[in-house]
Amino acid sequence: METLRQIQKKYCSTAITVAIFGALLFIFADQKAIGKGLVLGSVFSVINFILMGETLPLRLGKSKGKTFMWALGSIYFRYIILAIPLIMAIKMDQLNLFAAIVGIFLVQIVILADHALKIIFSTREKQV
Amino acid sequence: MELEPQIIIKIAAYVGGGLCMGVGAVGAAIGEGYTAALANEAISRNKHLSGDIFKSMLVGQAIAESASIFALVIAILLLFMDVPVHSLLKASALLGAGISMGFGAMGSGVGSGFPGGQACKGISRQPEMTGRLTTNMLIGSAVCQTPAIFALVVALILMFIDFGNVAFNPTWAALLGAGISMGLSAIGSGFGGGMAGGASCEGIARNPETVTSVTTTMLVGQAVTQTPCIFGLLVSFILMFKAFPETTALSPSMARLGAGISMGFGGIGPGIGNGMAAEGAVRWVARNVKHQNELMRTMLVGQAVSQSTAIYAMVVSLVLIFVV
Repeated sequence: METLRQIQKKYCSTAITVAIFGALLFIFADQKAIGKGLVLGSVFSVINFILMGETLPLRLGKSKGKTFMWALGSIYFRYIILAIPLIMAIKMDQLNLFAAIVGIFLVQIVILADHALKIIFSTREKQV
Repeated sequence: MELEPQIIIKIAAYVGGGLCMGVGAVGAAIGEGYTAALANEAISRNKHLSGDIFKSMLVGQAIAESASIFALVIAILLLFMDVPVHSLLKASALLGAGISMGFGAMGSGVGSGFPGGQACKGISRQPEMTGRLTTNMLIGSAVCQTPAIFALVVALILMFIDFGNVAFNPTWAALLGAGISMGLSAIGSGFGGGMAGGASCEGIARNPETVTSVTTTMLVGQAVTQTPCIFGLLVSFILMFKAFPETTALSPSMARLGAGISMGFGGIGPGIGNGMAAEGAVRWVARNVKHQNELMRTMLVGQAVSQSTAIYAMVVSLVLIFVV
């Protein structure tokens, strides 16, 4: 069974790899702003995912009210960090805003894609 | 003191941005708090599985947070983007965008906490079903995000489409009404979808053999639960894209605003009610899979009846748009 750290490493490294390969393709196609925006967004997506894992144990062992306050505090803190690439992409022409938005969802996209692929492969195995 | 149009637009963007992030984060925080509370219960029941429970909680919360990240994106765009159009209509559109995304993220945030929490609890009961529980949790949470995605689409249309060449009065009210209709009607559907998703994880943990039937019932239940927010989306689109004749009277504006309020509030209850019907059906399919067809039929009848109030709200909205 994978531990929490292993699962973080797995999804974060996949997200960064996808972002780098995607960025390289866009840079070769002379769309540097899109490539840079994608990498920037995905870096902050990874930071958010790691911080989420770090703050999880802090929410356990408390009453529902305190857990809610911890969750709200954690969300606002992490969202201030997630806002950075968006503000940078709005203010700087070298970064594409849409690519940065896609980038900040990259960890979520990787998680859903990973499970979707598992379902597809297990269905195929059953058919064979 | 007379305000310049550009200042009014900035004020509307700031108020919209604040509403969007403030309200949008509340739902996700409640959902995360609920998941953590059930994870506590799960860990105390089966302490040596805490690693798996943490892992499932992390993955579930990452997906559950998507709705509030949509709200963050819209809030940042509202606060920092330069708006090129200097018509006062833009002020109403930007405020509507903030309302649409802020409230639209609320229900999805709370709702997607339910599958996460029940999956954690289920893992402590049936550790060998961890993989299947995680998959069901992710499907349940992902479907819960649909109302938030609709709200995001409406917010982006309100922000980026130029409404400059249409009659100011009553279009300002129609644009605000569009945001209210979409944002509020998304609350119930997001919340209700989560109830069905949570029950599916609970059901799989109770009776792992029923996994296929439980997942099918969950997906049908969740699909019907989305109907009130689809009505909200429809009313929003009519309000945004119908051309209204110029008028100096106040009543046509109030009618368009009323249309948005009617559909917005009218969609909350049916969304939650549909979710309750789906939750009951999913839970009992897991206990009594032989009666799946009867349970699903009862669920659909219950949802149809619960839906009727959303249909009344939509009819009143359409009357306010097309007749008054």
